[in-house]
Amino acid sequence: MKRVAIVAGGVNKWGKRAATFRQLVQEAGKVCFDSYSNISNKDIQGFILATAYSERTAIQIHPASFMAQVLGVHPTKLYMRVENQCASGTTALRTAWWAIASGYVDMVMCVGAEKLLIPSHDEIFFNASSATDKEWEGCFGMNPPSLFAMVAQAHMRKYGTTEEQLGKVALKNHAHATKTPYAHHYERYQKHGKVSLETIMCSKVVSSPLKLFDCCTNTDGAAAIILASEEKAKELTDKPVYLVGTGQVCLNGSWAAAHKDWSEWPALKLAAKQAYEMAGVKPEDIDLAEIHDCFSISEIIETEEFGWCKKGEGGKFVENGLSDYGGQIVINPRGGLIACGHPFGATGIAQAYEIFLQLRGEAGERQVKDAKTALNHNLSGLGEHHVIIYKSGVD
Amino acid sequence: MSEAGDHKDYSYVMDIFPQQNKDETKLWGFFENLKQGKLTTTKCKACGYMFWPPEAICPECLSEEIEYVEIPKKGKVYAFSVQVGALPPQFKAPLIHAVIDLDNGLRLLSSIVETDPKDIHVGDEVALKILSIPPDSHGDRVLFFFRKEA
Repeated sequence: MKRVAIVAGGVNKWGKRAATFRQLVQEAGKVCFDSYSNISNKDIQGFILATAYSERTAIQIHPASFMAQVLGVHPTKLYMRVENQCASGTTALRTAWWAIASGYVDMVMCVGAEKLLIPSHDEIFFNASSATDKEWEGCFGMNPPSLFAMVAQAHMRKYGTTEEQLGKVALKNHAHATKTPYAHHYERYQKHGKVSLETIMCSKVVSSPLKLFDCCTNTDGAAAIILASEEKAKELTDKPVYLVGTGQVCLNGSWAAAHKDWSEWPALKLAAKQAYEMAGVKPEDIDLAEIHDCFSISEIIETEEFGWCKKGEGGKFVENGLSDYGGQIVINPRGGLIACGHPFGATGIAQAYEIFLQLRGEAGERQVKDAKTALNHNLSGLGEHHVIIYKSGVD
Repeated sequence: MSEAGDHKDYSYVMDIFPQQNKDETKLWGFFENLKQGKLTTTKCKACGYMFWPPEAICPECLSEEIEYVEIPKKGKVYAFSVQVGALPPQFKAPLIHAVIDLDNGLRLLSSIVETDPKDIHVGDEVALKILSIPPDSHGDRVLFFFRKEA
């Protein structure tokens, strides 16, 4: 198999945008090509579009060909749209990886995009319910906020995790996003300063015990990444970032069909093990991680399952600042889904772009010192996890 | 031009509830049983696997030889959440969602009705409560809810 590297990327401004789905795609694609001017849209042989809700919020089925077209990309090797709900972005990156690793194609562009802030906002929650097992679970009106609320309750009951520890995840991630200009809430920080723990703890309940600030933000946004084979990457940059390990596991779709103890995430443990083994690294080798804080509790459980702390101590880990700058590992340096927003298809790709910048030492104020190895994770359900590990190409 | 919602069949694409009638789903028997007050699931006659959610083909051995078996109407709350925000249209807060472990060990997700959100706790005994949900163009529909045991 060929080695595969990220050679370029870009993210547009996320938030409530006066722009259509295709215009979001255009913005992210333009930032990507403009920022890495030695790569042209005419060089792209493969194009993968990651989006979850395009049928319902952009009313666009079969979006990949149109989105390639608006970026002046004319793929001659492969093109497709991928959808794995919140993990659509990492799914696109993994797909591009094996297409390049096989030797079939040299260079693939992955673009993720989502238009979520539409006039009928209820549509988003309808979609969220229909993204669960609609016939047996979503039909009760339950959706990720209530499902992850029950995960939080299970973890709090078993391990004594507190609501304040959940709040500390939001506190950290909002603080990180004060240095991420594209983040959904960036203008709020400019006007009102950092989000305080009091604001977080006093925010309204969405689904007990989760409050508004425990939840990721629905937003409009897009992101782009270009991956290339090692040979091609070396022609294009002296700082490639290599994809060195990956894992993907789906143990169940319906939540009722999952394992019994929801405070443990065995599918994540397995996906993490696959990725660590393939990369030949251990949990302690990871300098920074972009992991799926769709809800505050998710980041806490992920911290445990990735092996950065003992099982059950994820709450204490964030409380003691061990997942912040100066701690043991920097988790979600750009501010995560909670503070940047979560445009589903774009999220995994924006996370990978953050890792690209970090491992090249180009993350500016967010730079994690001496970052060499980084981990990216998305989930698309209780038993569905997607992990990619990257290493700097500079020794 | 009529409103989109007036179109007889357009409501199908905004229907969050399961299709239940004979000309819509192979699992119509499950809903017929439910209308008669019985909570059932499907069991595979070939390999003996009993599972939730019910399926028309066994998800283990892929046999089509499935039968409906009655399952307990009572269970215990493993976890619950009172949802007041992020609700799809047609649902009114508060909703009490719960993970329920039935007395035979089978687990399902449902909502708790006719119960004050303040009165629900992990470990509480709950019992089946069948309620009507909005009909579709093929007929009446019901769903399996639970209520706290007095």
